[in-house]
Amino acid sequence: MQARKLIIILLLGVAIAAGLALALRNAGEPAAPLAATILPAGNDLPDFALVDQDGQPVDRTVFEGQWDLVFFGFTHCPDICPATMTVLGQAKRELEAEGRQPLPRVVLVSVDPERDTPEAMARYVAYFGDGNLGLTGELDELGKLTNALGIFFQKAGSDDGAYGVDHSTVVLVIDPQGRLKALFTAPHDVANLVHDLPLIMADE
Amino acid sequence: MRRLLVMCLFVAAAVGCGSPEGPPVVAANLVVTAPGAGMPMAAGYLELSNQSGKDVRINRVSSPEYGSVEMHETVVEDGIARMREIPELEIADGDTVVFERGGKHLMLMQPVGTPETVTLNFYSDDVLLLSVSAEFTASFD
Repeated sequence: MQARKLIIILLLGVAIAAGLALALRNAGEPAAPLAATILPAGNDLPDFALVDQDGQPVDRTVFEGQWDLVFFGFTHCPDICPATMTVLGQAKRELEAEGRQPLPRVVLVSVDPERDTPEAMARYVAYFGDGNLGLTGELDELGKLTNALGIFFQKAGSDDGAYGVDHSTVVLVIDPQGRLKALFTAPHDVANLVHDLPLIMADE
Repeated sequence: MRRLLVMCLFVAAAVGCGSPEGPPVVAANLVVTAPGAGMPMAAGYLELSNQSGKDVRINRVSSPEYGSVEMHETVVEDGIARMREIPELEIADGDTVVFERGGKHLMLMQPVGTPETVTLNFYSDDVLLLSVSAEFTASFD
């Protein structure tokens, strides 16, 4: 009877020790992202020439010096583009409320440069928050950026001015060295962004 | 998402709003995004329930505040968002169709002036099935 008790006590002790060891090991691991795909090395951006919402020419260096959340959309998009811009703005505000620094910049790259003039982009991006950046320009220059990043866009519908544009819904994270560092696929969620962005931005 | 009370304004006389039979199509949770600066169009979201006792077909939506209103659907496949017009919307008797973000939605184009409220009229051919009205949401929140 004594031997049986001893065996039970030993087994319990081993189980508790194993549990503690596992907990200690996990405590040392970095938190995993909930939604983002992180590219550890970071991918350099291609050369391109676009204009910002002030009509100023920009190239790849516009993405250097800050973290950027980049979405490709257009101002005549009534549903998924404003919804995504709103989610990105909310995530930025929540990160700010948590005291996180630095905060990422929200960038909209137009996939409809035919209608999205710098003036239209300026009004649009300002609607979703301060400090946002809007880029537009010539189609061939836009293509240099989208092709390198795997972004799809294609005009759809009629040519009477009421057309839409099919486009990728991914949100790209560009690091301060101007490298593609991570991406979020749709559907986009504020909580996931707020959880994952500090993890991504800690790995500069 | 802020939800607004939908006000039934008018329904075709044969199955009129407030008639003993009740309205054929009932709207709920209407939200119309405010057309902010730089946004050339607005989006509308709501739920449409068919309580008519028969299947209905909506093939036209109009608004006095907009030159054009179309039913659209955003479909995201393989990470690509594709928006397509819905020329006709069939709602089976007893069914509810939901217009929501990232799915079916109303696209309101060519605003007339700077409207503060919006009225939406849903038709089957030339028969007005339902008219609803709401204020805009303050933003896309």
